[in-house]
Amino acid sequence: MDFYLGLIQIIGVHTLLGLSAYCVLLTGQVSLAQAGFFAIGAYVAGMLTVLLHWPLVLALIVSAILGGAMACAVGFPALRVKGLMLVVATAAFGEAVRLFFFNFTYQVQSGAILLGPHGGEGFRQIRYFPEHGWGTLDVVLFIWTIVVLVMAMLWWMDRSRVGAVLRAVGEDELAAQSTGINITAVKVSAMTIGGIIAGIGGGIFAHYTTHIEHIQFGIVLATFAIAYPILGGLSNVFGTLLAVIFIQGLLIEGLRFLGDWRNLLFGGLIVLAMNIRPRGLLDAGVLMTLKRLVSRNGERKGA
Amino acid sequence: MGNAKVLELHGLTKHFGGVRAVDGVDLTVASGEILGLIGPNGSGKSTIVNLICGLFPLTAGRVLFGGADISELPPHTRVALGITRTFQNIRLFGQLTVWQNLWVAQNSGEQRKQNFLPRWLGGSKGARAEIDRMLEFFDLGHKRDELAGNLAFGEQRRLEFARALAARPALLLLDEPAAGMNAEEIEQLDSRIRKMRQNGVTVLLIEHHMELVMSVADRIAVLNFGQKIAEGTASAVQSNPVVRDAYLGTTTGA
Amino acid sequence: MDLLDLIDTIQSIADGVLFGTTYALLGIGFTLIFGVMHKINLSFAAASIGAAYASLLILSAVKAPAVVVFLMAAAAGGVLGGLVYLVGFKFIPLANPLATLMSTVGLLLLIDEIIVHTTAGVPLNYPALFSDVIVPIGPFNLRGDLMFVFVLGCVCMTVLLLLLYRTKLGLATRAVSQQPTASQLCGIGIMRVNILTFVITGVVGGIAGAMTGAAIGMLSPLLSLPLTVKGLIVTVIGGLGSIPGAIVAGLVVGGLENFFQFLRGVSERDLYIMLLLFAFLVFRPGGIFTVAAGRD
Repeated sequence: MDFYLGLIQIIGVHTLLGLSAYCVLLTGQVSLAQAGFFAIGAYVAGMLTVLLHWPLVLALIVSAILGGAMACAVGFPALRVKGLMLVVATAAFGEAVRLFFFNFTYQVQSGAILLGPHGGEGFRQIRYFPEHGWGTLDVVLFIWTIVVLVMAMLWWMDRSRVGAVLRAVGEDELAAQSTGINITAVKVSAMTIGGIIAGIGGGIFAHYTTHIEHIQFGIVLATFAIAYPILGGLSNVFGTLLAVIFIQGLLIEGLRFLGDWRNLLFGGLIVLAMNIRPRGLLDAGVLMTLKRLVSRNGERKGA
Repeated sequence: MGNAKVLELHGLTKHFGGVRAVDGVDLTVASGEILGLIGPNGSGKSTIVNLICGLFPLTAGRVLFGGADISELPPHTRVALGITRTFQNIRLFGQLTVWQNLWVAQNSGEQRKQNFLPRWLGGSKGARAEIDRMLEFFDLGHKRDELAGNLAFGEQRRLEFARALAARPALLLLDEPAAGMNAEEIEQLDSRIRKMRQNGVTVLLIEHHMELVMSVADRIAVLNFGQKIAEGTASAVQSNPVVRDAYLGTTTGA
Repeated sequence: MDLLDLIDTIQSIADGVLFGTTYALLGIGFTLIFGVMHKINLSFAAASIGAAYASLLILSAVKAPAVVVFLMAAAAGGVLGGLVYLVGFKFIPLANPLATLMSTVGLLLLIDEIIVHTTAGVPLNYPALFSDVIVPIGPFNLRGDLMFVFVLGCVCMTVLLLLLYRTKLGLATRAVSQQPTASQLCGIGIMRVNILTFVITGVVGGIAGAMTGAAIGMLSPLLSLPLTVKGLIVTVIGGLGSIPGAIVAGLVVGGLENFFQFLRGVSERDLYIMLLLFAFLVFRPGGIFTVAAGRD
C-alpha cells in the first residue's frame, strides 16, 4: 500500500513540474530551466523548515515567490532569444543552479548532528513530516490538494483571455505583436507563473523525499519537465497529468517486472509515441471525439 | 472629413544589407482618407506596412502618427495608439477559435484601460458584445466556435479583417486584402472598406487588384524600387507615363 | 601570479584546447543537422558515444590494431546516424519541432540504456594512441594522446569542409539548408540529402566519440549527457549553422573548461562555463560568427 501512496506522491509532484513547463510551452518557448526553479524551491523550503523551523505552508509560499522571482529575472534576458538558443540558454541556467547547490554548504549544529545543505553530499534530514506526525496518507492528501488547486487555476486560466493570449503568442509571435500583444510581457509572465509552480513543486519534493542532492535536479529532470506536457499535448492541463501517469506510473513503476529491460522500453516508447502522435497523447482531435461522445450521451439522457 | 494628417512618412528608408527596400519615401494620409498604395512586386509596399507597424527598425526617416513621432515605439504600443493591419499571407491564430481571435486582439488604448480582472479573465459584457457585432458584420457569426485554421480561405480573409478592427483602429493598413478572392468577395470587400471609412477609419490600402484600388481609393501613390514615383487621383496616376513604364518594364521616360 | 603558476595555467589551457577538438566535432554535427533540418538532434552525442562503444564491441570480437577502432567507430557512427534519422525524424511532420525534440530525447535515453544494459554500467577502457609520448616544448609538455586527438580532429574537419564546399553532395546539402523548396524544384531529393547528412554527421560523431574515449582512456554512458550539453553550447556559441564558428567555439570551450578547472577545481568548473554561456547567449545571441542571425 505504501508503495502506491509513494507513487501517488511522485505523480503529484511531477505533475506540478510538468505544469510549470506547460505554462511556458503555451507561449511556444521550450525552457530547460524548470529543474533549476524546482531546485531553488526544494532547497529554500527545506532550509526554512529545518533550520528556521518555519511551518511548511509558509515555507512553500516563500519557495513559490522565490521561484517566480528567479524565473522573472531569468526570463527578461533569456526570452530575447528563441528556439534552440533559448533551449540552450535555459539549460545553461538550470545547470548553473544545480552546480551552485553542488558547491553550496550551509550547516548548523543541532544537538549531535549538523543540519543543512552540504555541497555534493546534499541536504539530508528534512524531517518535517515525521516530526510533525504526518502519516503517508496525510502527505498524499496535502500534495494532491495543492496539485488540484494548481490544475484548477491553470484550467481556468486556459479558458480565460490569458490562455488565449498565451496561445496566440505561441502560435505566431509576429501576428501577436501586430494585434497589439506585448509579447515580451506575455512570455515573461508565463515564465514567472511557471517558476512559481516549479518552486512549490520543489518545496514539496524536498519534504517527501527528506533528502535532496544536486544530481536530482540535472538536465534529465529538466527534460522530463518539458516531456510531460509535450507528450500529453498542449490542449489542456489534463494532458500533462495523463503523461505523468503514463511515464511515472506505467513506464517507470508499472514495468518494474521487466527488470533492466524497463529502461530500454522507456526511451523506445517515447520515440514511438512521438511518431504516432506528434501532437501529444491528448491532441485536439482526441478532445473533439471525447466532446462529441459526451454530448451524444447527454442528448440520450435528455431524450 | 477633416484635413488633419493621420499618418506622415518623412524620408522613410529601410536597407536590408545592400538592398534598398524602401528609399526615402514621403507620404501623407489625411484623416478619413482611403489611400491606395500600388507598385510592381518587390517595390517595397509590404516593407512600408511593416515599418509603419514597427516590426523592424528604420534605417532612416521618421513615422508620425497624429503628429507625434512613433518611429521608436514597439509594435504593440502602436496598436494601442490606433494602427492595425492585415497580412498579405493570412496570419491568423489557427489553433484559437474565431471568437478568440478577436478576443486577444482587443488591445486599443481604451480597451487596455479596462479593469484588470474583467479584461483578462472574464471579458466584460461590452467587450463580448463588440466581438459578436464584429462577427455579424463580417458574416462569421455562425462560425464563432470553429478553429480559425479550419475556415475556408475567404472566411479567413474576413476574419483577419475583423481582427484588425477589434482594436478600434484610427488607421487601418490592408496588405493585399483581395489576393485570392473571387469577384463577388471583392465586391463585398469594397463595400466593407467604404463602410469602415464612414465609421471614421482611415485606410492605407496596398493592392494589386487595380479595379478595387481605382474604385475605392481617394488618392493613389505608386512605388517602384523603393521610391515613390507618382501620387494623385486614380485617373491622374493611370495616365502618368512614368507609372506605365514601371508596370510595363520599359526604360524610356523614367 | 608567479611564473610557475603562469606556466601551469597555460599548460592546462593548452591541454583543454587540444581536447576541445572533440567538442568542435560534436558542435559541427549539431550545427550541420540544424542547418539542413532546422531541428535539434538531441541524441547526437549519445549516438557518438554509442558508436565508440560499438567499435569496442567489434574490437573484442576481432583482434585488430587500435587504429582500426577509430575506423570502426566512424562506420558505426554513420550507421547509427542513419537509424536516428529513420526512427526520430522521418515519420514526424516537419511542422512539429517539439515532437522531434522529444523523439530525440527518447533516442538519447534509449541509446544510453542500451549501453548500460550491455555493459552493466561498468566503464570500459578505451585504447589510447601515443599515450606514452610526451613532447616537451620549452617549459610545456604536450601529451601525445591529446596531440593525436587534435590532429585527428583537424583532419576530420578538413575532410568535412572539402566535402561540403568541393563536392556536389555538399552543394546540395547547402542548397537544402538555405532553400528547401527551391532545391526540391531543382531536382534535389531532400530525403536523400537529409539521410546523407545524418550519416555524415554520424561518422563525424563516431570519430568524436572515439576521440573522447581515447583522450579520457575510458568510455562510460555517463559521458553522453555532459557531451550533449557541451556540444550544444559549442553549436550555439559558434552561431547556429556556422561550421567555422563551431570549430572556434569548441576550442575556446575546451580551453576555458580547463582554465576554470585549474583556477577553481573540478566541481566549480562547469558553473562558470554555464554562467558565461548564459551571459553570452543573452548579450550576443547570434554567436561568434553571426550566420543565422535574424532567422527564426
